[in-house]
Amino acid sequence: MFEMLSYEFMQRALIASVIIGLVCSIIGVFVILKNLTFIGAGTSHAAFAGVTLGYLIKFSPLSIAVLFSLITVWIVGYLSKKGYLKLDASVGIFYSLTMALAVLFIGLMKIYNAEVYGYLFGSILSVTKLDLAIIVLLGVVVLFLVYLFFKEFHFITFDEEMARAGGIPTGWLSFLLLTMIALTIVISLKSVGAILVFAMIVTPAAAAYQLTYSMIRMFIYSALIGTGSSVSGVFLSYWLDLPSGATTVLFVSFVFFLSVLLSPKHRTILTAIN
Amino acid sequence: MKNNVIITFSQATINYQQRAALEDISLDVYQGEFIGIIGPNGSGKTTLLKSILGLVRPSKGSVQIFDCACHKLRCHHKAKIGYIPQKGQIDPNFPVTVSETVMMGRYSSLGLFHRPSKPDKGLVETALTEVGMTGYEDATLGHLSGGQQQRVLIARALVQQPEVLLMDEPTTGIDPPTQHSIIRLISNLHKNLNLTILLVTHDINMISPFVDRIALLKVRLFAIGTPSEVLNEKILSEIYGKQVVVTTKENGLYVIVGDYHYV
Ligand SMILES: Nc1ncnc2c1ncn2[C@@H]1O[C@H](COP(=O)(O)OP(=O)(O)OP(=O)(O)O)[C@@H](O)[C@H]1O
Ligand SMILES: [Mg+2]
Repeated sequence: MFEMLSYEFMQRALIASVIIGLVCSIIGVFVILKNLTFIGAGTSHAAFAGVTLGYLIKFSPLSIAVLFSLITVWIVGYLSKKGYLKLDASVGIFYSLTMALAVLFIGLMKIYNAEVYGYLFGSILSVTKLDLAIIVLLGVVVLFLVYLFFKEFHFITFDEEMARAGGIPTGWLSFLLLTMIALTIVISLKSVGAILVFAMIVTPAAAAYQLTYSMIRMFIYSALIGTGSSVSGVFLSYWLDLPSGATTVLFVSFVFFLSVLLSPKHRTILTAIN
Repeated sequence: MKNNVIITFSQATINYQQRAALEDISLDVYQGEFIGIIGPNGSGKTTLLKSILGLVRPSKGSVQIFDCACHKLRCHHKAKIGYIPQKGQIDPNFPVTVSETVMMGRYSSLGLFHRPSKPDKGLVETALTEVGMTGYEDATLGHLSGGQQQRVLIARALVQQPEVLLMDEPTTGIDPPTQHSIIRLISNLHKNLNLTILLVTHDINMISPFVDRIALLKVRLFAIGTPSEVLNEKILSEIYGKQVVVTTKENGLYVIVGDYHYV
């Protein structure tokens, strides 16, 4: 146990897993309550497309991933705000569009690049010093923003129109929330993977949703479940020599089903998503 | 013009896409007035309230409150307008308690970056007492009955310490005794706090004893005046496209629309 902690890559993996677990599960509460579930999926594909372009043109994959995912959430947010298209529909378009781009960029690379596939399925044990610095920096920024605008986000997720009527600047705050979702996905990309990151955002919050009717408690439970699962995932994957992203997601899904069973309300995920 | 006009519509037209929801509305609302707004479904009643809140803006004419165009209102003005929206479905499982909901009414006065403090909590308590909901502070909003939720939403508007209260069908879907107690509550608030109230309803008979004026809306403002001026058979049947009978009862007029029966 202590021996594994002496490895630097292991220390990095643990710090990264704590921050990612925390940020994803906190943002997840807003995603669940505001029915933004599908946006998470769409954005992670966009971010992955950014990564592949980065490898293709040999320019910081993470920066391009940030760019791609921000452009996606902003366009999608704008289209739905203007009433041109339902959120789900425009996310659906970007979901496939960006995946097509990713496939295209990978095809253009000609050679097989294992690192790119790492971003698809995640490998937290390969997080570098620079990766960790970015994760910590962006993670702290997102958490600080949640803290700063907590009461406004609570109001907006409860009833956006009433919040607007009450003078809350819902316009830019909604875009800020979308931006925070995009950043959360980007920092989780390398360790959890584009396909699985979605689970880290939705599942802990959905599990917490089963357990309480209080928003504050929902945050606390979600954070505990998310962080706990993410750290457990790292340990399990090290001990059992399993892929870290998959292990974490299986673990958190297990916690989710457990909380459905234990839920005093017997609510289902369906009502959570609707 | 009287100087205590608080809301002014001048030839305001409001469109959704191409269609007009409100057309050429001109109306002065005086401070301390209680106005009931009636009209068939889709006649623009909700839109009228939303235009005062600046949620929709006129394509022609103007809507002003506190001498300021409604779509340009700043927070400190919005704080003075309490709004009780037409009943949407409150998600029964949404994690928000009664006291959290009422506290949301303080947010516009607090502004960004400020958290509720002791005095705000005091206001929440007072408002809950006022609407008769003490003891429900920690209840989940979605678990209350429709009438109780409506009281909580009124309390939410009250903690804003508003000058104007806009209510969109606050008694729809609520049993008759509770409807009456809510209307009496509103009427008392009107008298005690000297609030200006615009209340949308389909229940003409319930509000007519309490209001100063009634506005009859059907895209255009068909009529505005005291209940006895407005509630006549000719105007009402024109608006509702059905036969209407207006009779007198103990304390005022009584309107029967459509397939009425003599008792
Ligand atoms: N967001 C919107 N987009 C497009 N049209 C709208 C929108 N909101 C309302 N309308 C239309 O504007 C008209 C007026 O709607 P409004 O909600 O103001 O009516 P209302 O008098 O409140 O009706 P009800 O009694 O059913 O509540 C209706 O024809 C409606 O279809
Ligand atoms: Mg309406």
